Amino acid sequence: MSVTIHTTINGNAVSASAEASTSLLEFLRDTLEMKGSKLCCNTGECGACTVIYNGKPINTCVTMAADANGAEITTIEGLADGETLHPVQQAFIDTGAVQCGYCTPGFIMSVKSLLDRTTKPTAEDIEEAVSGNICRCTGYNKIVDAIHLAAARIAGRA
Amino acid sequence: MAKAEFKVIGTSPARMGGVERVIGKGVYGIDLMLKDQLHGAILRSQYAHAKIVSIDTSEAKALPGVHAVVTAADAPDVRYGRSYIDRYILARHKVRFMGDPVAAVAADTPAIAKQALKKIKVVYEPLPVLIDQEDAMRPDAPTLHDDMPLPKNLPEGVKVKNVCGFATVRVGDAEKAMAEADIVVDEVYETKMIHPQYLEPRIAAAQVEPNGRLTVWANAQAPFPVRQEVAKMLGLPLNNVRVISAELGGGFGGKGSGITSGAAVEPICALLAIKAKRPVMIVLDKAEETISTTIRSGAKMYIKTGVKKDGAIVARIGKVIYDAGGYSGFGVQAGGRCTNMLGGWYLMPNCHIDGYTVYTNKQVCGPVRGPGGPQAAFAVESHMDSIAARLGMDPAEFRLKNIPKAGDKIVGVPKLRDVSLGETIRIAKEKIGWGNVKLEKNQGIGMATGSWIESAGPGGGATIKINEDGSVTVHIGKIDMGTIPGFGIPLIVAEELGIPVSDVTVANVDTDASPWDAGTVGSRGILVSGTASRLAAIDARNQLFKMAARQLEASPEDLEIVDRQIRVRGTPSKSVSLATVATNAHTVIGEVIGRGYCDNLQLMAEEKAHGSSQPFTAHACIVEVSPDTGNVKILKYVAVHDIGQPIHKAAVEGQIEGATAMSIGQALCEQVVFDKDGRTMNPSFVDYLMPTINMMPRIETTLVEGYPGAGPYGAKGAGEIACVPPMACIANAIFNATGVRIKTLPLSPENVLRGLKEAGKA
Amino acid sequence: MEYFEPKTLSDALALLAQHGAEAKLIAGGTDVMVDIKFKEEPGSLVNIKKIPGLSGIKENGGGLSIGALTTIRELETNAILRDKLPVLWEAAHQFASLQVRNTATIGGNIGRASPSGETLAPLLVLDAKAKIAFTDGEKTEPFSSFFQGPGKTSMGTKGLLTAIEIPYPAAGSKGVYLKHAVRGAMDIAMVGVAVMLTPDSGKNQVQDVRIGLGAVAPTPLRAPKTEALLRGKPLTAALIKQAGALAASESSPISDQRSSAENRRWIVEALTRRGLEQTWKAATGKEVAS
Repeated sequence: MSVTIHTTINGNAVSASAEASTSLLEFLRDTLEMKGSKLCCNTGECGACTVIYNGKPINTCVTMAADANGAEITTIEGLADGETLHPVQQAFIDTGAVQCGYCTPGFIMSVKSLLDRTTKPTAEDIEEAVSGNICRCTGYNKIVDAIHLAAARIAGRA
Repeated sequence: MAKAEFKVIGTSPARMGGVERVIGKGVYGIDLMLKDQLHGAILRSQYAHAKIVSIDTSEAKALPGVHAVVTAADAPDVRYGRSYIDRYILARHKVRFMGDPVAAVAADTPAIAKQALKKIKVVYEPLPVLIDQEDAMRPDAPTLHDDMPLPKNLPEGVKVKNVCGFATVRVGDAEKAMAEADIVVDEVYETKMIHPQYLEPRIAAAQVEPNGRLTVWANAQAPFPVRQEVAKMLGLPLNNVRVISAELGGGFGGKGSGITSGAAVEPICALLAIKAKRPVMIVLDKAEETISTTIRSGAKMYIKTGVKKDGAIVARIGKVIYDAGGYSGFGVQAGGRCTNMLGGWYLMPNCHIDGYTVYTNKQVCGPVRGPGGPQAAFAVESHMDSIAARLGMDPAEFRLKNIPKAGDKIVGVPKLRDVSLGETIRIAKEKIGWGNVKLEKNQGIGMATGSWIESAGPGGGATIKINEDGSVTVHIGKIDMGTIPGFGIPLIVAEELGIPVSDVTVANVDTDASPWDAGTVGSRGILVSGTASRLAAIDARNQLFKMAARQLEASPEDLEIVDRQIRVRGTPSKSVSLATVATNAHTVIGEVIGRGYCDNLQLMAEEKAHGSSQPFTAHACIVEVSPDTGNVKILKYVAVHDIGQPIHKAAVEGQIEGATAMSIGQALCEQVVFDKDGRTMNPSFVDYLMPTINMMPRIETTLVEGYPGAGPYGAKGAGEIACVPPMACIANAIFNATGVRIKTLPLSPENVLRGLKEAGKA
Repeated sequence: MEYFEPKTLSDALALLAQHGAEAKLIAGGTDVMVDIKFKEEPGSLVNIKKIPGLSGIKENGGGLSIGALTTIRELETNAILRDKLPVLWEAAHQFASLQVRNTATIGGNIGRASPSGETLAPLLVLDAKAKIAFTDGEKTEPFSSFFQGPGKTSMGTKGLLTAIEIPYPAAGSKGVYLKHAVRGAMDIAMVGVAVMLTPDSGKNQVQDVRIGLGAVAPTPLRAPKTEALLRGKPLTAALIKQAGALAASESSPISDQRSSAENRRWIVEALTRRGLEQTWKAATGKEVAS
């Protein structure tokens, strides 16, 4: 059964139809052809599909597209300001936190959400924000470096 | 900061391709969308071992929206493999593990494809299932491959079944020397199957072009072997197949299609595209991957070592039983490597190790990150601590006592040119606080060393085109999965040509245009493509200087490139822009194209003459064990590595940190779990547990310099080596904390707690 | 698959009555979406998130009433819940990832009735009650009888959980929720132990203790024999050791891909001991007497 979804993505009103069983991830990637949010585990276990949904980071793979009616969604494609990268995006590049890059959009969304709340994240804050994001390439060292660098730049300390 | 002698080598500029990745561009295989594409799906065996009695695809074919259904009957009767050519792309007659592909469909939507798979009726005649490789070796075991012979080099009188590979290490007279040892330690270690679990699922896409050629897109690590495999499996002329590589969201050896007989998704996809007469794309899901694609095998390792009272090792006798899985895959190679490495990388005057690679009814061994090495090191380096305990010696001192020196040989390396092993141990001791850090109750400290043999393997080439504006396009045969194309290669080319790193583009691999390569495997990226790119850049530079010399009325030897200008050294006003010279080439030779290649025979000859420099490493850690639950927390972790001259420093650190994390996962939380029927019980990420940030320590990396490798500027490969030590490092720290030696991976809370309880400590 | 977004409770109940076992409820979706993708699509999917009044945490005279659609994150960030019902707060705090907590609901966790569901053992030790709506009225049932097997509850196919009623524990009570996992919150609990302890007024004896066990039986369960052993006694190391062993014997775990049954019993023993030590110290300020 088909449903029509009216939602706001990166500030733009979007309307499209999809099967009711469609996940928000499938809606983004397949219906809207926005490939930034990544498909990986499809079970809500890895965070590669994370977007900010009504102000909160969520796993789009286990969220119904139909629920996005009326929602405000920010995806990785919506972070940069024209040619200027968001500080979190820039920091991930600068510290070498992007290796294969597949986990990167999900991490960036989780981290942006964290740094919107605080620019002095403690180790506990970081753990809470990204324990649901798996990286298989970096061992997390340079990702943690990126989080601290982005926080410092956003707060004007660097 | 670059060393004084280098402009950019050793620095850490932003990764090529970083911007696309952080803004969410669809650069990966899974992001592909072909016009008019159909969705492909694969039906996999429901039994771990069975005869295929019949397959009825009529209902599936009749389903509206289904455009093709294929089985083995639709493909040539040709098998693939590496050592043993033992595998069909779609199973014929028999299935040998529960992920074995049996049929495939192409349909309008993924949902219809899924429905169609359900409508394929396969009648199986189940056969006995072999899970454990030691059981599978027994002479009374059922035969898994009726037409595969036993290896020709099996010793006389050995009665085994299901063995597809045999390797042996013989040095001196191990049995005699063992009898003369003062102390003998005899142990058995076991590792379990893990899956590389790259985050981006494997895909393949294929379409028949108007001119009849077949184009295949693959997120595979080795596009040229994929081309070969597709052509051979489908009976197509090689030059009618073109493979275009996407960038990969991780690979770790698990996306080594074509290199192994692991998971030939590409030929299945191509077959569907040919039959359906439409483009087809297959996207595996991660749970499907765990049960069907290539893995890191489990190994059972018997290891017995004799030492003198003063700690000198005198002999080792060992046996490796390596699990190939349902097909030989990369098992023989990995099993051979494991067998060699069980001899360790210390002085070993007498050694006899036999290694058997054995068929079982499980997933197939692939060239997963350091194949065979981490398993051997878990045994070797845990065993070293057991011996040290028997001797009453400090584990670091025991190791240092047996370090080889320049000119010595070790198992697998006939002559060492230099030896960084001692230095890596000393630095690891210092960084972890060995001997002086205060440990609390239930805390322990441990170390483990490692080595890796990387120079054995194919050569490869590079071409560099100098574009009209002075920018550069590089063609190599290796792909980007967070590896050299984005990091080291642009630096090398920029260094030799004196141009900004951002002026260098490394093209994606296209088998129509790129030089042949074995693929991004084996820690050979920097060695092969790095060498080739450097030589190609020098070739291009020489051509540019020859052209510019005429114009500048100087000798080519006096020229340099600075700020995109070719100028006379010492007289910078005498210059011409690189762009001008590159453009002028149009009227002379067309274009300046630099060519270079890494000559493997030359590498081997140099090693034979001067000895080789191994990428030694030492890791050390402090852990805390909860004695009532068995939970292990890593409090501090140091990784000390000799990787020669780092080309892109952050990339090298990233490889070390990532490989360490992968083996920490194998140590603490990862394994593929089977029931007695050979069914994988934890295929999805719900129960296949990989390290999350909360359980990872900060990995403190130190790079040791002064031991140049065979790569460009003295580089050594860094992709795999850090996988080697972590499991033993953590097991040794647990031993130090609790007095309990755990010999079977993973060091999960349950296994640790059981060990503690059996020792009466919990 | 048919799809419905009922706007009222009675519409939702009518759909359940009509479609019976063919219908599946979806709230946050973190469990149901996985079923849809990896197993089967249900005949009818009923999305209950549009029904008003089913979410939120309210004080209601001596306790809290939690709407079934309250997200786990809402529980985790609620100061009153953290202060008054810390054992439930700890379960919310160790529940999967932040992304999942932002979407998953307590009603979903309860309705799923997985023996390892994080909130379930805490609800048992809190003597919480389920408010369930049916087409013919509403009933309130203690969670002690609510869970009937893995995936089975007394709601059957026709009931809809609307709220969870939790009385505040007796003054001076302290509770913990201990989750045994390999990695941490991200894992499905191999064992979950909830302990709530109320000391007597002199802080010398156990006036009341409740022990809830998760992932070690077909349903979450209390450990009544262990509780009876402890009530009215001062806590000593010897008694705690005995209690741990008894609690382990009250569990009936299975062996699966996460753990053997034997290991689960060891962990029940270990975490019961830890839970008693921690709650005793928090409640009395004293370490357990040796």
